[in-house]
Amino acid sequence: MITITDLEKYYATEEVRTVALNKLSFTVNEGEFVAIMGPSGCGKSTLLNILGLLDDPDGGSFLFNGIEVAGFNERKRADLRKHNIGFVFQSFNLIDELTVFENVELPLIYTGVKTAERKQRVEEVLEKMQIMHRRKHFPQQLSGGQQQRVAVARAVVNKPKLILADEPTGNLDSSNGNEVMDLLTELNAAGTTIIMVTHSEHDAKYSHRIIRMLDGQKVTENILSDYKSKVEV
Amino acid sequence: MIRNYLKLAFRNLWKERTFTALNVVGLTAAFSVAFLLCTYALFELSYDKFHENNSSIYQVYTNSETPQGMESSISNPVPFADALRAEVPGIENITRIMTGGSSIILDDKSFSISATWADRDFFKMFSFPVVKGSRDKILQDKNAAVITEHAAKRFYGEENPVGKTFVLLQDGEQSPVTITAVVKDFPDNSSMAFDVVFNFKNLPNRVYGDNLDRWDRHNHEVYIQLENGINPEAFEKSTIAFTSLHYGGDINDAKRDGAQPNADGLYQQIKLLPLTDINFTSISNGILEVDKTMHYLILGIALLIIFIASVNFINMSIGKGTKRLKEIGMRKTLGASKKQLFFQFWGESMLVFVGSLLFAYGIALLLLPSFQELFRTKATFSAFANPAIIVAAVASFLIITLVAGGYPALLMSRLETLQALKGKLQVTGKNYVRDVLMIVQFSIAIVLISGTLVLWNQLDYLRSKDLGFNKDQVIAVPLKSTKDPEKLMQLLRDELSSKPNILSITAANNILGMGKDRSRSTSVLGFEYEGREVKTNMLSVDFDYPETLDIHLVAGRTHNRAYAADSLSVVINESMAKQFDVENPLDIVVDLDVAKFNVIGVVKDYNFQDLNQSIEPLTLFMNNDAIMRYAYIKVAPGNLQASYNTVKSAWETIEPDHEFIGSFLDENIDRTLMKERYMTTMISSGSVLAIVLSCIGLFAISLLVVAQRRKEIGIRKVVGASISTITVLLTKDFLKLVAIAFVIAAPLAYYFANQWLQGYTYRIDLSIWIFGAAGLIALFIAILTISVRTIAAAVANPVDSLKTE
Repeated sequence: MITITDLEKYYATEEVRTVALNKLSFTVNEGEFVAIMGPSGCGKSTLLNILGLLDDPDGGSFLFNGIEVAGFNERKRADLRKHNIGFVFQSFNLIDELTVFENVELPLIYTGVKTAERKQRVEEVLEKMQIMHRRKHFPQQLSGGQQQRVAVARAVVNKPKLILADEPTGNLDSSNGNEVMDLLTELNAAGTTIIMVTHSEHDAKYSHRIIRMLDGQKVTENILSDYKSKVEV
Repeated sequence: MIRNYLKLAFRNLWKERTFTALNVVGLTAAFSVAFLLCTYALFELSYDKFHENNSSIYQVYTNSETPQGMESSISNPVPFADALRAEVPGIENITRIMTGGSSIILDDKSFSISATWADRDFFKMFSFPVVKGSRDKILQDKNAAVITEHAAKRFYGEENPVGKTFVLLQDGEQSPVTITAVVKDFPDNSSMAFDVVFNFKNLPNRVYGDNLDRWDRHNHEVYIQLENGINPEAFEKSTIAFTSLHYGGDINDAKRDGAQPNADGLYQQIKLLPLTDINFTSISNGILEVDKTMHYLILGIALLIIFIASVNFINMSIGKGTKRLKEIGMRKTLGASKKQLFFQFWGESMLVFVGSLLFAYGIALLLLPSFQELFRTKATFSAFANPAIIVAAVASFLIITLVAGGYPALLMSRLETLQALKGKLQVTGKNYVRDVLMIVQFSIAIVLISGTLVLWNQLDYLRSKDLGFNKDQVIAVPLKSTKDPEKLMQLLRDELSSKPNILSITAANNILGMGKDRSRSTSVLGFEYEGREVKTNMLSVDFDYPETLDIHLVAGRTHNRAYAADSLSVVINESMAKQFDVENPLDIVVDLDVAKFNVIGVVKDYNFQDLNQSIEPLTLFMNNDAIMRYAYIKVAPGNLQASYNTVKSAWETIEPDHEFIGSFLDENIDRTLMKERYMTTMISSGSVLAIVLSCIGLFAISLLVVAQRRKEIGIRKVVGASISTITVLLTKDFLKLVAIAFVIAAPLAYYFANQWLQGYTYRIDLSIWIFGAAGLIALFIAILTISVRTIAAAVANPVDSLKTE
């Protein structure tokens, strides 16, 4: 599904040039659950932004479903993004002025889904995330775990092929964190590819494969389980 | 989608209620004041435009060169109109017009009316549609009359007045008149106003019959309608031969007396004044001037006020935008396009603007009656009822919302997704757009404050200026009565002379300043003195005129009951004496057609005309035949109100049927300063609003800046900054803007004030302190505004501000 080759990204100020990604290459297959780990500043978030089509690499190749997307302009990226990728952030990034229902509905509005279908799909996903009873509440009225479940619901409502999760449990206590991880595992089991950035070894164990990064480069790669056998089973 | 935006917009506006309220209050105030000001200006600018032929109708006037410079006159001799039509091609219609108050008798009842005498073409040129009677024969007969619907109702109630007759009283003679038509009432924006129109030939012989061949007696106005395609300048040129033919004598006199020809080599030139300019015309120091500045200035102030309120809106929207970065980022992440984001934010602005506009309309509607009274205008919102104005108003509203709401929307929709998501704004350092807008805002406020101060000073100067007569102690009483003025004066003297608080009584045929009857006249007499033309203003006075008014005598004596021959004596002012240019003015004998007059005295120049004119030559006659129109009564200093009441009750004893409309001369002078007073009121209310709105903006920005710098303030306090250093730190940046604004505004204000003052013969000297004071006022109000927030921020416990990070 994703193949990056010699991916490069720099951040430059007037005097200093910082390398965020240094000729990074790897592949993620469809249906895989990959965790990316590494210390602060190793380039994890930069990588995730590029994979999420929020940012453009400075060099190298990025094939998304076989299409070269490096060098796409913002319009094209936005179009690809809204149909294919769901995001889950550490700080949830829910819109405070919108209710739970409206937050989840938002991606469907931007992809032009009709009102009646929107209602049905949002309710469906809220049921699945067990927050239907909270649909008229505003984000501030929910606990952190509930907020993150709303964020996951928003990420999946458009049925994306790929979910990118940036420290999804970073702001949660362990029991809420585990719930979110279980949710992601279920989604993955249903066929969604997931790439997750995390600091937590505990969370990383939910994945099939851990890529460890340092200074913008891949250092090791541990395969925890064979996702294909799972999928095939 | 739209519902989603609307819902979100309302929630956002509610969440930011402080800013929403500041914006709505500011915009509502600006819009409602702009509504009223535009209503006034548009109404005034629409004067006489209701005439279908307004673009081809002109008033005829003449510019004549005299040794003292050019003089304009709108008066024409009786044979002028017919001769012009016969001799100069290009005239579609022409009419002579005379206006004035008159009396009619109808079924033994007497009515005073406002009358116009005109020729038949009058109703062909002007749009006064006939509602009853025949249009064809309108004003055909000498004794025909046309009345308005309003007058018809007043005279005849519901009866059809066409064919009815009444009696017109003129110069003590009665002539029967027949009504041939009723015309629709003229609109409020008509500069012509009348109850009845009579045939011009029906004027008394003194005006009409005796002057059929007289080219030297100018007594009425003439209006022409040019044929299609005739250009007014070309028409003016084609009258040159006509002028030299009929005014040859005048031209030769002018040459003999040393007048210089104008740029075209002419001594006398017929000119055309467009009908729609008449409302803006005045004769200042002899020259006819069209001046619409005040009306455009009012429109300008309306625009400036909207500009200031819009700047607040822009600055607050951009400032608030930083709080919504996360939302923008998330929407973009989820696939929102720039267009969608732009319309979302612009829509929110539209809500605020449309809401404010509706509130403003309601407020303007409530304020309109008081506004009409304050500025003595009949302007209503129907001034907007014109397709062009509606289109322009809607277009300006859309443009304002597009700029004020669209600019911040554009900025926000163009933010980089990632940066927005991280809540970082790329423009971190200087906020140039905001600073420039605030500088412009404060510059406007300072210019307006300076303008207000200059106006106040000038008005005060004119009010308190020594006019050369006693304006505080003299009551002028218009002798509006059915009694003979001479008899009325005698009765007044009998009634008042024994009263201890009445010092002196006199009368004259003209007013000083403007009385409550709002009528006044100018009589100018030209005669030959030692082979040259001399012109003077004429005033007929009763005994004791200079004494009653405390007009200073510089030579000779005044009219005196002890001298039997004083009806052939005149008293002149210094300007007149100067014009004679002789060693001893008391030797002068003036030879007028009717008699020879001896100059017996010279009085010091006093301002007998408006204060925008210098003092012209004046001659005081004491002709027994002259009709006195005003009594002047000098009362004792001290309890002026009691003295006023004494005069009033005397009048009421003598004339119980006519209202007493006397007033002190200082009130009369004030009435002539109406234009200045209106301008002062409008500009000062404009500047108050401008400074209030600018401060609302400043306050809002200080809220935002303090919020943004909360952490910085916390850290500074932790490392030992005092409350005062922090307040100064936060206030300094804003004060810099006010200071820059002052540097820009002061020279501009000086320039405009100086230009405006040039129009006054008597004017204040512009001193630096006026502008300094305006700057200090702005600075002081700005400091006060910012301090509310900055001091609170400086006093706050740093632990709270650091904790939030």
